[in-house]
Amino acid sequence: MTVTSNSTAPPSGAPAEAPRERRGLFSRGLEALLTQRVALLVVLIVLLLIVMSILDAAGLLSGSFNSDYLAAALISAVPLAMLGLAQLMVILSGRGGIDLSVGSMVSLTGVVFGYAYGLWGWSLIAALILAVVVGGVCGAVNGVLVAYIGFPPLIATLATYYAYRSLALVVSDQKPVNSPVIRDFYSAAKSVEIPLVGGSLPLVPLGIFTFLIPTIVVVWLLLNKTTFGRRLYALGTNNVAATWSGINVNPNRLAVYVASGVISGLVAVVTVAQFASARPDAGTSGNGMALPAITIAVLGGVAITGGIGRVAGIVLSTLLIVWINASILLTLPGNDGTRFQLLALGAVLIFASLLNGLTKRIYGGI
Amino acid sequence: MSAENGQAVVEPALRLELRDIVKSYGGVRAIRHADFAVRPGTVHALVGENGAGKSTLIKIIAGAERADAGSIAFNGETTTIASTADAIKLGVQTVYQEPQLFPELSVAENVFVGRELKRGLPIDWTAQADHMHDLLGTVGLPDRIATVPVGTLSIAEQQQVSIAKALAGEATVLILDEPSAILTDSEIDVLFAVIRRLTASGVAVIYISHRLDELFRIADVVTVMRDGRTITTEAIGDLSVRQIAELMVGGVLSESRPQQSAAGGEVVLELDRLSSVGRFADVSLTVRSGEIVGLYGLVGSGAGDIASVVYGIDRATSGRMLLSGQPVAIHSAAKARRLGIHLLPANRSAQGSFSFQSIAFNIIAGELKLLSKLPGWVTRRRERDIARKFIDRLAVKTPSQNQPLSAMSGGNAQKVVLARQLVKRPRLLVLVEPTQGVDVGAKEEIHRIISRLADEGTAVLVVTSDLGEVLRISDRILVVRSGEVAAEFRPDATQVEVLAAASGAETAGPSTTKESA
Amino acid sequence: MSVDQHGASVPAARATARRVLPPPVTGQELVLVGVIALLWILLGIFTPAFLTAGSIRPLLVSVAPIALIGVGMTFIIITAGIDVSVGGAIMLCAVVTAKSLVDLDLALPLAIGLSIGLGLLLGLLNGVLIAYGRVHAIIITFGTANVFQFLALRVFGSSTVNGIPGTFDVFGRGEAGRTFGIPHSFLITVVIVAVAWWYLRHTSGGRNLFAIGGNAQAARLAGIAVQPRILAAYALTGALVGLAACFFIAAGTSTLDQAVGSGRELAVIAAVVIGGTSILGGRGSVIGTLLGAILVQTVTSGVTQIGWPSQLANLFVGLFIIIAVGTDLLRQRARKAS
Repeated sequence: MTVTSNSTAPPSGAPAEAPRERRGLFSRGLEALLTQRVALLVVLIVLLLIVMSILDAAGLLSGSFNSDYLAAALISAVPLAMLGLAQLMVILSGRGGIDLSVGSMVSLTGVVFGYAYGLWGWSLIAALILAVVVGGVCGAVNGVLVAYIGFPPLIATLATYYAYRSLALVVSDQKPVNSPVIRDFYSAAKSVEIPLVGGSLPLVPLGIFTFLIPTIVVVWLLLNKTTFGRRLYALGTNNVAATWSGINVNPNRLAVYVASGVISGLVAVVTVAQFASARPDAGTSGNGMALPAITIAVLGGVAITGGIGRVAGIVLSTLLIVWINASILLTLPGNDGTRFQLLALGAVLIFASLLNGLTKRIYGGI
Repeated sequence: MSAENGQAVVEPALRLELRDIVKSYGGVRAIRHADFAVRPGTVHALVGENGAGKSTLIKIIAGAERADAGSIAFNGETTTIASTADAIKLGVQTVYQEPQLFPELSVAENVFVGRELKRGLPIDWTAQADHMHDLLGTVGLPDRIATVPVGTLSIAEQQQVSIAKALAGEATVLILDEPSAILTDSEIDVLFAVIRRLTASGVAVIYISHRLDELFRIADVVTVMRDGRTITTEAIGDLSVRQIAELMVGGVLSESRPQQSAAGGEVVLELDRLSSVGRFADVSLTVRSGEIVGLYGLVGSGAGDIASVVYGIDRATSGRMLLSGQPVAIHSAAKARRLGIHLLPANRSAQGSFSFQSIAFNIIAGELKLLSKLPGWVTRRRERDIARKFIDRLAVKTPSQNQPLSAMSGGNAQKVVLARQLVKRPRLLVLVEPTQGVDVGAKEEIHRIISRLADEGTAVLVVTSDLGEVLRISDRILVVRSGEVAAEFRPDATQVEVLAAASGAETAGPSTTKESA
Repeated sequence: MSVDQHGASVPAARATARRVLPPPVTGQELVLVGVIALLWILLGIFTPAFLTAGSIRPLLVSVAPIALIGVGMTFIIITAGIDVSVGGAIMLCAVVTAKSLVDLDLALPLAIGLSIGLGLLLGLLNGVLIAYGRVHAIIITFGTANVFQFLALRVFGSSTVNGIPGTFDVFGRGEAGRTFGIPHSFLITVVIVAVAWWYLRHTSGGRNLFAIGGNAQAARLAGIAVQPRILAAYALTGALVGLAACFFIAAGTSTLDQAVGSGRELAVIAAVVIGGTSILGGRGSVIGTLLGAILVQTVTSGVTQIGWPSQLANLFVGLFIIIAVGTDLLRQRARKAS
């Protein structure tokens, strides 16, 4: 009877109406953790760091778990977080939005970039632009199929997953594209000092500054500071209502698939630098890149039904995944480590989605 | 004449009796205390404003929800209804407001879904076809419809299929949730005939409706709910429409009606022999600035389709549309809004609301350009200011503009969606069923807002199937029947005249337009 | 008032009984038969070796496991679900069964039982999480796919499984694996497809799957036990994965490598979608799935027989998905417009 006292609640109903203030600290904390995904992720990251530090102090790890190690592990955060952001935008757009083809687009644009930069002698900028354009075109095919022809995104991107993967392998004759220029390009993946704050901090992979942070900033600005972001949340929440509100839904939906392709193009360049060669299966070998990216998005609190999701969630969930993987490698060296990464990815995905479901049931939203 | 709740009076035993029902969702109390008893062979009306607890009570009877407390007795024996399957076992059949059907499946399959007639393991298609014949006859649908996929039927036909579906399961209690809302008059006649046949065979019918006047044609008993309580249960003959309405709102209805705005500005919208094949034909009309034109038509008349074409959602196939004298071609809602045509859609949840987004988000969603001087940019402060302005102006009851829309009552949510149409002042405002599913208080407020807009010079076109509404707020009434403008009336026309024009004079029987106010 | 004037008599109603039945074969299936026939003829013209038993038989052997799992996947997709964990599940079933054959020399029925039982268990796990955890199917099965793969890799150890005895030869490519020249695995698949077709068309259990996929909420209100039925669809798929894993072991040589099952989930989904089952639920057929699997495998084997790079096959699979779903979408749009 405290906050909304203007309602004329009859006396008999009053006792059962538990005022929010009277709830315990624990239950309020729990609600905050479950409804604020960012808070949960921060807590989980801190927990992981504490546990690993204790294991390190006890000498149970095969290497030392320190800030240098954590910083070096960020190299794998670059493609993961970028593709996680791509999935964020696509899933946000609703109507079953998902992009299974990101891995294939990385493979294909990587090969194209490899040819242009490594073999045709294009400048880095020109080759980068080409990769982005090719990625954008690949994404546009997905977008047209989904937005204008009405394909379920799962099916459209499954089809193009096959098609692009096949093209990448056929175009490159199943051989990695290699040349001295590309081998030298490995320097783009080296670790550097953080600018300004200088030498006391650990070295950080260069890709964080050249690719990841710009992408994060651009996507954050797009989603939070532009009308495009508003239109995206609107059509993801309710496509019909967006139409009736005067939003042209099709071009906006197309745009997110193009964005996903563009980001894939950038990731392709990052991957070429990391491998020092343009591998035609870079984005599709093993489980491919789509699954980890979708995992990151779901763990980051993106609702698979659209309309809900934030950039901060993606960034934090990437950190969590990357550092869990790095921790596993220290705890279980060798082949076992990479296998347990599979388990961790799967378990985290199931845990995250069950958590999303639970949160929705209890509090009616993420 | 207060509640009797049917305890001592025995006569025919109670088919269904609910006592001391309580139900909360999270912290919200949907039902504070409800007693409800239905006798076999009667039509028991359940009325109340939105949020009064009717739907929750129905869901408890149908097994879609479980009560937190209270008891349920069926034919005098205490029972529990834990699931829809339990309810169906007792013969409790429900026809929901939104037809709960399967668009890809045939009518026959829809009717028997969940209670297929079998011969051993496989379905007995012949027995189903025979039974179908009877059921379709009962609800007044032709036999050939049995094999048609439900997705291809009209909403009204789908509703009739829903009723057939409910009847396929040997109903003892039939719940009809706002069955008449989407039916034409002749379809309502068929519905009432079906209901009478059912009650004659001993079925207890629970009938929910917002159209109070029709209760007097069909109901025997009426229970009024307010604020999660059953307020009273009376024989229908002991009450008048006005008394029921007063019981619903819990006070005396204000006699004052919004002032009629004065007509007579420049012509804003002109439709010149506009047609859309299969929907409407040769519609000509004008709406002047400062004028409220009511487009009255029963569901299926084509009135709603005219609005969709004006707003660019659907296309006209011939004819012209002029805006302030200039011919315009509008292919999208975006274009319509650029030209200053705004529309409040009929189906709020499907077409109007971004449910889990904030009120501010919902208000600004139609005019994102206003969010910053920089094109394509968003300034939070501007969003907040605009939202607050309209929350105040439309008296939206909310603690903050950051509240999600899904947390609001029907009337408040409707005001938010209406606010979206007013953020930029429209030249022409089209309102489709502006007060459907809205409680009486909010309805009054929305009518006042519409009046005020017209007074300030906006041209307003109200498309509605609510007769009282169209007579109350329009300066001019156009009646749409079978896709054509059939008649025009001044606001001093009587309900009987307008209804007769809308339902077609030749079919309008003498009793169908009985007045009760 | 005027209630109705239904003039039809009871015999007339009987006449409609047959029409109340869902159609036995859809238009899309007939088109698929045509496309497959055309491809076979063209391939026969360009590479005469294609239309020989030596080429068709391996084709049918490769169709069998995809179509078999496709039956379960069709059930799942009809309920508007999906299972992308079948690749991992194949891997786990295959490696466990192969190891047991090597280490314990299990008899045939026991080995089949083990594989199916394990598959069923994995399917149940998916089903429970999806039906009762109320979590989106694609997300959960992405997760379980990883877990299954992890477990499978653990069982594999570091290498392949070698020296698998010929227990499964009865499903194999060899002489022991066929009757009247037709591979047993394909025959079994056809029988299961037929039973599934009858079940989906003629039983309430089957029809209710369509209702669940069409409108789960309405299905629940109609008293259908939605969750157990969804659970059953995933469990069935798991069991079929178990049987298909036996086919995979039999189709290979005496070794099993870690690539088994990899990417098969997408091949299965492609077959189901090309077969005309709507990914949105409520519509689908197992005959279409069988035809879809045959089409996909025809393209795969055709591409290499013509001498094109084998990787090109996936491009065609992608195009077939787009064409199959695209024509269906355009047809629906045309129907709505008229």
